[in-house]
Amino acid sequence: MAKQPQTTMSRALVRRETISGYLFLLPSLIFFLGFVIIPMVICIFNSFTNANMHPGDVQFVGLKNFIDLWQDVTFLKALKNTFLIVIVSVPTVCAFSLWVASAIYKLKGPVLSAFRCIFYLPVVTGSVAVTVVWKWMYDNYNGIFNQILKGVGADTINWLGDSRFAIWCIILILFTTSVGQPIVLYVSALGNVDQSLVEAAQVDGANHFQVFWRVKWAQMMPTTLYILVITTINSFQCFALIQLLTQGGSDTNTVMFYIYWTAFKLTEQAGHFGYANAMGVVLAIFIGLLSAVQFRLAKEK
Amino acid sequence: MKKTHRILALLLSLCLVVSLAACSGGTGAGTPETSAPETSAPETAAPSTGDATSISLWVYPVGGWGDETKVKALTDAFTAETGISVKVEYLAYADGDDKVNTAITAGNQPDLILEGPERLVANWGANGYLVDLADMLDDTDKSEIIPAALAPCINAEGKMYEYPMCMTAHCMAINLDAFKAAGADQYIDLETRTWSTDNFIKAVEALYAEFGSTVGAVYCGGQGGDQGTRALINNMYGGTFTNADHTAYTWDDPKNIQAIEQLLSMDGIAFDASLQGGDEIAKFYQGALKMAFCWNSAQQLNPNNADTGEGKTVTGEEIVYMNFPTADGSPAELCGGIWGFGIFDKGDAAKIEAAKKFIKFMCDSPSTADAVSTSTFFAARTSAEGTDLTKLFDNEMMNDYAALMLPNLGDYYNVIKGWAAARTEWWNMLQEIGNGDDMTETIATHMANANAAAAG
Amino acid sequence: MKIGSGRTKAYRIASILILIVLALLFLFPLYWIVTGSFKSAQDIYAAEPKLFPTEWVTTNFEKLFAKRSAPLWELHVPFAQDANGDPLVFSTGPIVPGAIRWLVNTVFMSVMAMILTCITAAMAGYALAKKRFVGRTLLFSLIVCAMALPKQVILIPLIKEMAALNLVNSLWAVIFPTVGWPFGVFLMKQFCEGIPGEILEAARVDGANEAKTFITIVLPMVKPGIGALAIFTFINSWNDYFMQLVMLSSNSNFTISLGIATLQAETTVDMGLLMAGAALAAIPIIIVFLIFQKYFTKGITMGAVKG
Repeated sequence: MAKQPQTTMSRALVRRETISGYLFLLPSLIFFLGFVIIPMVICIFNSFTNANMHPGDVQFVGLKNFIDLWQDVTFLKALKNTFLIVIVSVPTVCAFSLWVASAIYKLKGPVLSAFRCIFYLPVVTGSVAVTVVWKWMYDNYNGIFNQILKGVGADTINWLGDSRFAIWCIILILFTTSVGQPIVLYVSALGNVDQSLVEAAQVDGANHFQVFWRVKWAQMMPTTLYILVITTINSFQCFALIQLLTQGGSDTNTVMFYIYWTAFKLTEQAGHFGYANAMGVVLAIFIGLLSAVQFRLAKEK
Repeated sequence: MKKTHRILALLLSLCLVVSLAACSGGTGAGTPETSAPETSAPETAAPSTGDATSISLWVYPVGGWGDETKVKALTDAFTAETGISVKVEYLAYADGDDKVNTAITAGNQPDLILEGPERLVANWGANGYLVDLADMLDDTDKSEIIPAALAPCINAEGKMYEYPMCMTAHCMAINLDAFKAAGADQYIDLETRTWSTDNFIKAVEALYAEFGSTVGAVYCGGQGGDQGTRALINNMYGGTFTNADHTAYTWDDPKNIQAIEQLLSMDGIAFDASLQGGDEIAKFYQGALKMAFCWNSAQQLNPNNADTGEGKTVTGEEIVYMNFPTADGSPAELCGGIWGFGIFDKGDAAKIEAAKKFIKFMCDSPSTADAVSTSTFFAARTSAEGTDLTKLFDNEMMNDYAALMLPNLGDYYNVIKGWAAARTEWWNMLQEIGNGDDMTETIATHMANANAAAAG
Repeated sequence: MKIGSGRTKAYRIASILILIVLALLFLFPLYWIVTGSFKSAQDIYAAEPKLFPTEWVTTNFEKLFAKRSAPLWELHVPFAQDANGDPLVFSTGPIVPGAIRWLVNTVFMSVMAMILTCITAAMAGYALAKKRFVGRTLLFSLIVCAMALPKQVILIPLIKEMAALNLVNSLWAVIFPTVGWPFGVFLMKQFCEGIPGEILEAARVDGANEAKTFITIVLPMVKPGIGALAIFTFINSWNDYFMQLVMLSSNSNFTISLGIATLQAETTVDMGLLMAGAALAAIPIIIVFLIFQKYFTKGITMGAVKG
C-alpha cells in the first residue's frame, strides 16, 4: 500500500519525512522507551540472572529460572488462573454487552442513557472502592449474599474463603467493572448499522437470527475487535481484586500477583528478582501471542 | 527498497535499545552503590558533617503507635529536646512489608523502623540492611531489660538489630455473655483465666447448640494474626511449632495433628480462609464469633469501632481474655510480641547517630513511660533512667493482664531461619486442610517447604 | 410472521424485566457504599445487614478525616534533589485531613497523566499515520505488542529506574509510566489515518510548516479522538491501583484508592470507615461522569468507530 509513493519519493524527501516523523514521535518515544521498553529489556536480561534485592554479584544463570518456573506448582496454578480469568471474562463480557446493547438500543433517549449510565457506573466508581464493597457483600458472617441464602433457607457459602467459589467471585466483580464500555460501544454500533442492508436481507426472506448474524454482526466486527482488545487488557489488570480480597489464597493466585509476591512480600524468596522477571517474560510472551492472534483476526476482516 | 529499509530500521532501533540499556545499566549498577556503606559513606556524610537535623521513621501499627496524634506528641517531645525533626510514615501489616522491601529496592528506606524481631532480626537484620545496636547496650540496660524481651532481639552472632521498647503476650478472648447464655461459663476458670482442652470442646459444643453457627474461626486468609492459630494448635495437646534450638519446624508433631483433627471435627469451629486476624477480631467485636484467637492487651483496651467501652463488644457484651486451652488446664504457652526499633544502614553516620538518640529517648529515658503507654503494651524493661516501668497503667485490667498473662510467655521461636516463608506455608496449609485435602500429606508438604527455607 | 412478532413482543418484555433486575444489581454496590458510609457501627455490625440505616450518622466520615493529616498541596519537582539528597518538594496550603489530600493527589495525577498522554499521543499518532519514515513498521509492532502488557511484568526494573531518576515516592513515578503506555498512540494513529492526505498536501503547498499543519489542521480533525483518549486515560489513571501501591510510600503522597486500601489493612477492620473512604473516592468522579455523561459516551464511541 505504501510502496508506490515511497519508490517515487526522492531521497531528500524520505530524509525530511523521517526527521519530522521522529520529531513528532519524540515526546511520546521518551516515555514509551523510557518507561516501557527499557524496563522490559532489563526485565528480559534479568530473567537469565540470579538478580536479587540484596546487594551482591549478579550472575548469569542461563535458563535456570525458566526451568524452575515449570516445576513451581504455585506458578503453574497462577498461570492457569490467569488464563481462566481471561478466557472466561472476555467472551462473557462481549456476549453480555452485545445482548444488553441489542435490548436497549431502540429504547427512548432518556431510558437508554439511564441504562447506559447504570452499567457504566462500576467503571467510574474506582477499582478499590468497588473491591471493598464487594468484599463486604461477600462476607461470610454478615454479608448480604449469605443473608439472602439464609433468608431462603439455604446453606451459607464462604464466598471468598472457598476455593471452589473464590475465583468466580473475583471474575464476577471483574465482569461488572468491564461491561460498561462495551455496552456503550455496541449501542452506538447497532445504531449505525446500515438499515438498507437489513431491509434487503429481510426482503430476501432472512429470518431475525440470519439478519442479525449476516448483516448486523458483520458490520459490527470492528467494534467487536476493539472490545476484545480492551477487555483483554482489562482482564490482565485485575491485580487490585486479588491483592485486596484473597492475597492469592483460596486458589485465586494469578501470575501478576505472584510476580509482586515474589519480588516484595517478606519471604525468604523476597527480592528474587531474576525469578520474578522470568515470570514476567513468560507472561509477556503469552500476551504477545494473544495480541498477535487478535490483530491477525482484525487484518483478516 | 522496502527490505533495506526494514533492515536499517531494525539496526537503528537495536542500536537505540542497546545504548539506552547500557545507560540504564549504569544507573542500575549505581543504585546498590548508594546502599553500600563503604563507597558512599564519605560522599553522603560530607554535606552533613555536623548532626543530622531530620530523620524518618516508619511504624507498623503497634497499638497506639499507629495513631498519628499520639505519635506526634511523642516525636514533638523528642524534637523539642534534641532539635531533630522526625518524619513518620504509618504502615499497615497487610502491605507494610512490601512497602519496606520496595523502598529498600529503590534505596529510599527510612532511618528507623518500629516492629518486632521476626522482621527486624530474622529478615532485614539477617540480610544486612540494619545497623548493629549492641553498642547501645551497657550493663545497666542488660539488667533492666527483661531477658525474654532482649534475647530475640540479638541474633546468634551477637548482633542486636532491634532495641526493644514494649512487649505483650498474645492470648485469646471469649464473649462472656454468650458463654453464660449457653451455660458454657462453667468450663472456664475466671480466676486464673485457664481451661482444659476438654472443657474448650464442651464449651464450643454448648455454644454451637445455643447459637447454631460458627463459634470460633481458625482464620487462614493470610498471615495476619497467625500467632493465634499457632498458639491454639500447639497448646491444645502440648505440641510445638519448632524444635528447641530453633532449627526446624515440627508441625507434624502427633500432638499438633491431634489438635488439628479435633478442631476440624468440631461443628462450632470453622477453618475460614476469608478471614485474617484483623477480620476475626472485627467479627468477634461484632458478636458473630463467640471467641477470638487473635487477642492481646491492646485489643482488650480498645473501645472498639462502636465505642461501647473497653472489654466490650459492639453490643456491649463483656469480653474476657483467656489462656489458650491446654490438655491439663494449666496456663498456656503464649506467643510473645516484642516491639522495638531498628536502624537502616544507609551509610550516613550522622543519621545513624540521630536515630540512636531517638531510640534512647523512646526506650531508655524518662520519656519511655509515655512511649510505652502509647503502645498500650507493657514495657520491655523494668526501669529506665530511674523511672519504674512495671506499674505504667493505673488500669486494673492492665495490671491483672500483666500478672495473669505475661508470666505465661512461651518460647519466642519466631527468630528461626525461614520464618517468613514458614508463615506463608502455615496459612496455606490451614486453607488446604480446611478444604478437605489429606491432612498428613498437606502438613508434610508444607512443613517440608518451611524446613527447606529454614535450612537454606 | 404474526406468531413471530407475538413471540418477539414477549421476548422484548422479558428482556426489559431482566434488564431492570440487572440494573438494580449493578446499582447495588454503589448504594451499599453510600448507605454504609452513613450507618452507625451498630448497623454495620448487625447480624442481619440493614438495607437502610436506622439512623444516619457522620461518625465514619469524622473518623476518616481524623486519620491522617497533610498539607493540602505539595509539588514534587521531577528529577530534582534538595541539599540532603531527598526529592525537592514545595509544600503549601493549610494542614488538611489526609483523605482530602489523597483526593487532591488523585486529581493531580489523573489530570496530569491525561494532559501529557493526549499531547504526546496525538503527535505520535499523527507521525505514525501520515509520515513514511524509517522504522515505522517496527515501532508500530512494538506498540501493539506492549499494549496489553501488565505493569507487573516490568515492575522491578521500573522501580530501580524511578529511584535512579529521583522520582520514587512522588506522583510523577505513577504518571510517567501511564503516559508511556502506548494505547493512546495506537488510538490516535487510527484517528489520524482518517485525515485525507490531500489536505495535508495542500497545506504543504501553501507553505505551512509541520508545526503549523499539525496545530491548525490535524488537531481540529482529531479532536473527538483526543476527547476519547482523555476520558480513557483519566479513568485508567484514577483506577490504576497497582502503580500507586508500588511507587508511593508516604501517606501524604497517597491517592484515594491507596488510602482506602491502607485503611482496610489496619489491625481491626472498620467497615464504616472503609465505606466512608470508598464514598469519598467514588462520589466526586461519579458526579463528574454524570455531568459530562454525553461527552463520555460520545468519546468512548468515537474511540471504537475509528479503532
